[in-house]
Amino acid sequence: MPDEVTLIGLDFGTTTSSAVVASARLTRSAATGRRDLTEVHERYRSDMVFTPLDENGRLDESRVAALLDGWLAAGAVDSAQVFGGGALLTGMTAQRENAAAIVRLVRERLGDALIATADDPRLESWLAFMGSCATLSRNHPRQPILNLDIGGGTTNFALGRDGQVQRTGCFYIGARHVRVVPGTYEIAALTKYAEAVLQYLKIDREVGDVLAPGEVDAMIDHSLALLEAAATGATQTFEHPVAQQHVQVPFVLAPSESDAAITFSGGVGELIYASIDGHPWPATTQFGDLGIDLARRIVESKVFAPHIRRLQPDSAGRATVYGLLRHTTEISGSTLFLPDSKILPLADLPIFGSWYRDSTEADLTSLIDLVRHSPRGGCVQVRLGTSDAAALRQFGTRLADALDQAAFPTDLPLVLLVRENLGKILGSYVTRWGALPLNLIVVDEVAERDAQFVQIGTPHSQVVPVSFYGLNEPGDARCTH
Amino acid sequence: MHSLTPLASIAVPDPRPPQDYTARCFDHEVAFHGLKRLLGAADFSKAGDRHAGLAAESETVRETARKILSGLTLQHLYDNPLTDDDGQVDSVMRVNYDIDREALSSVASMTVGELKDHLLRARGAEVARIGRGLTGVMAAALAKLCDVHDLILIARKISRPSKARTLLGTPGTLSSRLQPNHPTDDLRGVTLLCYWGLSLGSGDALIGMNPAIDTVENVSAVLRQLDKVRRHTGAPTQICVLSHIKTQLACLERGAPVEVMFQSLAGTENTNLREFDISIDVLDKGYRTMAERGPLHGVARQFMYFETGQGSEFTYGRHNGIDMTTTEALTYGLARRYDPFMVNNVTGFIGPETHLDSFEMILANLQDQFMGKLLGLPMGMAPCYTRHSNITLEGQQMATELLASAGANYYMDVSLNTDRMLAYFDTSAHDNQSLREVCGRLPAPEFLEWGLERGIFTRDETGAVVRGPHWGDPRQFCESEAEFQELLSATPAAYGFDTAGPRPSNAVTREMRLHQGVGREAIHAELDVERLRRTAPFRLIETAAATKDAHLGSPDLGSRLSAASREMLTPETAEVQVLVSDGLSAEAVHHNIPDLVPALLDGLEGRRKRPGVPLLARYGRVKLAERIAERLDASVVIHLIGERPGGDAQASRSLSAYLLYRLSHPAAQREAALFSGNASAAFEYTVISNIYAQGLPPAEAAAVIVEKVGQILEHKAAGNRLEALLK
Repeated sequence: MPDEVTLIGLDFGTTTSSAVVASARLTRSAATGRRDLTEVHERYRSDMVFTPLDENGRLDESRVAALLDGWLAAGAVDSAQVFGGGALLTGMTAQRENAAAIVRLVRERLGDALIATADDPRLESWLAFMGSCATLSRNHPRQPILNLDIGGGTTNFALGRDGQVQRTGCFYIGARHVRVVPGTYEIAALTKYAEAVLQYLKIDREVGDVLAPGEVDAMIDHSLALLEAAATGATQTFEHPVAQQHVQVPFVLAPSESDAAITFSGGVGELIYASIDGHPWPATTQFGDLGIDLARRIVESKVFAPHIRRLQPDSAGRATVYGLLRHTTEISGSTLFLPDSKILPLADLPIFGSWYRDSTEADLTSLIDLVRHSPRGGCVQVRLGTSDAAALRQFGTRLADALDQAAFPTDLPLVLLVRENLGKILGSYVTRWGALPLNLIVVDEVAERDAQFVQIGTPHSQVVPVSFYGLNEPGDARCTH
Repeated sequence: MHSLTPLASIAVPDPRPPQDYTARCFDHEVAFHGLKRLLGAADFSKAGDRHAGLAAESETVRETARKILSGLTLQHLYDNPLTDDDGQVDSVMRVNYDIDREALSSVASMTVGELKDHLLRARGAEVARIGRGLTGVMAAALAKLCDVHDLILIARKISRPSKARTLLGTPGTLSSRLQPNHPTDDLRGVTLLCYWGLSLGSGDALIGMNPAIDTVENVSAVLRQLDKVRRHTGAPTQICVLSHIKTQLACLERGAPVEVMFQSLAGTENTNLREFDISIDVLDKGYRTMAERGPLHGVARQFMYFETGQGSEFTYGRHNGIDMTTTEALTYGLARRYDPFMVNNVTGFIGPETHLDSFEMILANLQDQFMGKLLGLPMGMAPCYTRHSNITLEGQQMATELLASAGANYYMDVSLNTDRMLAYFDTSAHDNQSLREVCGRLPAPEFLEWGLERGIFTRDETGAVVRGPHWGDPRQFCESEAEFQELLSATPAAYGFDTAGPRPSNAVTREMRLHQGVGREAIHAELDVERLRRTAPFRLIETAAATKDAHLGSPDLGSRLSAASREMLTPETAEVQVLVSDGLSAEAVHHNIPDLVPALLDGLEGRRKRPGVPLLARYGRVKLAERIAERLDASVVIHLIGERPGGDAQASRSLSAYLLYRLSHPAAQREAALFSGNASAAFEYTVISNIYAQGLPPAEAAAVIVEKVGQILEHKAAGNRLEALLK
């Protein structure tokens, strides 16, 4: 019988915060015996609430605690049942003190089951893609898909193929850089990005003024032009200083990817797809920002309009929180090398690089050295590309010799991550079948990810949850060969 | 609900000592000691009866037996109940005597031969009336005198309709039980197989799944999912999970929708009690509970479902010296007690030890259908086979054409003929529709109406029912393409949905048959000893099976050592021995051993378990390990053996590791006896299965085995007892 587990996604943004709680099953695959999360079923979705920040941007901890408790109670969450998911902190909540407070409040309630990530734009782009387009992309494996997750403060770009994200980027383009009094265009607040654009467009307006229709159009035109440029690979647009200012993480579309299908998610994405499904547009500036205006212009855009009806993503409005829920946590194989499960969970473990079948002794030694000087221990991804017993024995024996020679501390956690189903045999050879004392874990059947940190949760039905964060762009990774 | 006659009220004549039946056959006399031997010799020769020493050794002997049997009166058969090995009338035989005595008295003075002629001459209603007055032995005796035409002609006269939500078995209909079996009971895969079958017009008799895991929790979960599928699609049918009757009663107790109650039955009390864990009391309780509290109470006229099949009593060694056809008929006599909604047999399921080839399987199925319908049962048929018999898909298809002519109420729908859980091959929804078109049959009326509404069926310009525009499209029940793809990802052996007329398209068929071919080849391939010896220093031993055919036909031979090997093996000091044998797939050995055994030997050495020199046996069975443990005085034997190939080519290369623990310590033996309830338990087993590249890769399996062997030796236990200790 498949085991029931609970997944949680928490999204703390500058303006709003929300939670989703889902039940899922750890089901064993028919053909391979591998366990996977299936039948993810949303059982609670909170209202979007305003994030309790004071005028100085400081978090009101007691109100956050009350929010968390309310969500967990409403979602009937038993902390022992929580298998994974994530908490995403963006904007003001990602600032150091606020982030630390949220992480502490979450861990007090849920232990290390959830991974909390702050200001990790590549991860946010990845999550939005996975939350909205993963299935769509797998169903059209040859079609590159570019997802634009347009939120309040940023637009996260992610290009993927066959369910795998290949490239990400992030721009300070969003619905809430200009906040207005709902129902009007009277400016209530402006971000520094909005101020720069107003100045560039020579529109002399400040808080309390009402934007004229032409001025609204000009503001939206500017945002739209940047989105179109980024989505079509027109990189010269971003050479201008004002445009440059909007780039958080650059996104470059290769000429070979010009046939990518474009999808939208986030709050603006939800408005776009609601409109083409025949729903009327909400009333003017109903949400107190320019999101509705931006969505309308995207629907009319010559660049974007042809794409909108072509491929439609799932759960556009909540892509990131769905991504958090469903894709932050990966499942290991069920025959991992874990002599002592009591050392789990391991949180915030740095990933130092990768070893390959033909890594030299120097490659092995240099990463061993990095791990041994890390107080928490560390993780290395092993990319063998084979499950041939002779190759495993050879690599395992060489690594055992290198660890032995380096007098690797017997209690320092060393985690190896491998894609193939060979955790137990690799661990056995590396520890010389138990003769070499090491605090070694080999987690198998986990796809390689170019991330900076990993978290390994406690075992559940013979598998462990694995979460990555601090994503690097491919090529950034500090891999050694 | 009809009343159940108390067993004590069923009159059965006292058993008599076996008498000799003799006849002259031209120039010599042929004699049979006892009715059991006479009945056995009168049948077509089938593997199970040959192994049991019951089949006639020649056609002359068989025909002589038939001649003698033809001359016995029904009264004689009535007066001589067959007994169990202790000379007693068992409970199954007793229930067989719960008959319409008026009907019997009208034919009691007839000989079996005269009755056969009478049935051929009579109208259907008369045949049906007489059938209610016959015991299983009488029906079996008649079957043995019938050729193929006789079996079909008599069976097709009888209509045995039954009614739950749908009405089955009326003339002109052919229904099907949708069987969405899945290797891990993955509800996504189960759901897709249901959608697929329903879209092909199957499932009007039942959506009934055999669970991989027979627990109350799992069976309830599957029942709820099937109920969801039924409601979502709106298909008028009923649902069932074919678990043990006790599990289903517990599910019903918890409110799960047990709409139809299932149980496998056998034709001797010993088999039912000791192998199937059921008694008449348990079956009575199931029937009464369903009648009073079943979800279809008040809707369904019948609600019990039984599965049977020739040969189970023989394979368990509990056939009481009775042949396979007769024990099968006795099973029907038992099933009749509960006025079931459905009965079907799965003759062919066991393997070549009971039915060697297509011919034996086809004849046995025709006999079964004849006997079942005659005795009063709503018979569905599941002519089927496993890869290690000589039965082919074509042979099975011939059986279905003949059985449809004989008026089968329903067939199975196993998608693309390939059961994904039970590793056997049965009829498919495509077959059912083909047979409907060949024989001019329609689904059950309620289901037909639903199918017409959905466009699965339609009417042509003449008003005839034909396949509709949505026939064969499982996507019609999915809300999105994404949902369909998710379901598909959890469904093994789904080779395509394209069709050509009522058949799968050629491309789909070719893919399926190629996979099946790989499976068949894996069984018939011979072990390449030289190649294996290059991977490890194997010592070769022999089993008592001298040839592949002997090995496949007689499981017992592969469990024993040859005299020479017995001589060769003497006690050794090694606590652990490694044994490799082909079992039912030499290909599984060839593909996995080169990566598995070297790593396994490394691990055992590394963990200081010092194994003996590994052994290699051609034509081995699982229990060969017991003989090795005894001869070599080993505590643990790691037996790596090829599994029975199923429908998928990769899985045909699947190896299992049976880790045998010999209970040589008196304390361990006591604990094991207490745990299992078997006082003479001598061995325990832990099984690690699914070893192949896409399952548990062989090198990884080596480490898993080494770890498990360590636990077995440390805790002096294996199997469920070890797992209980580890918790």
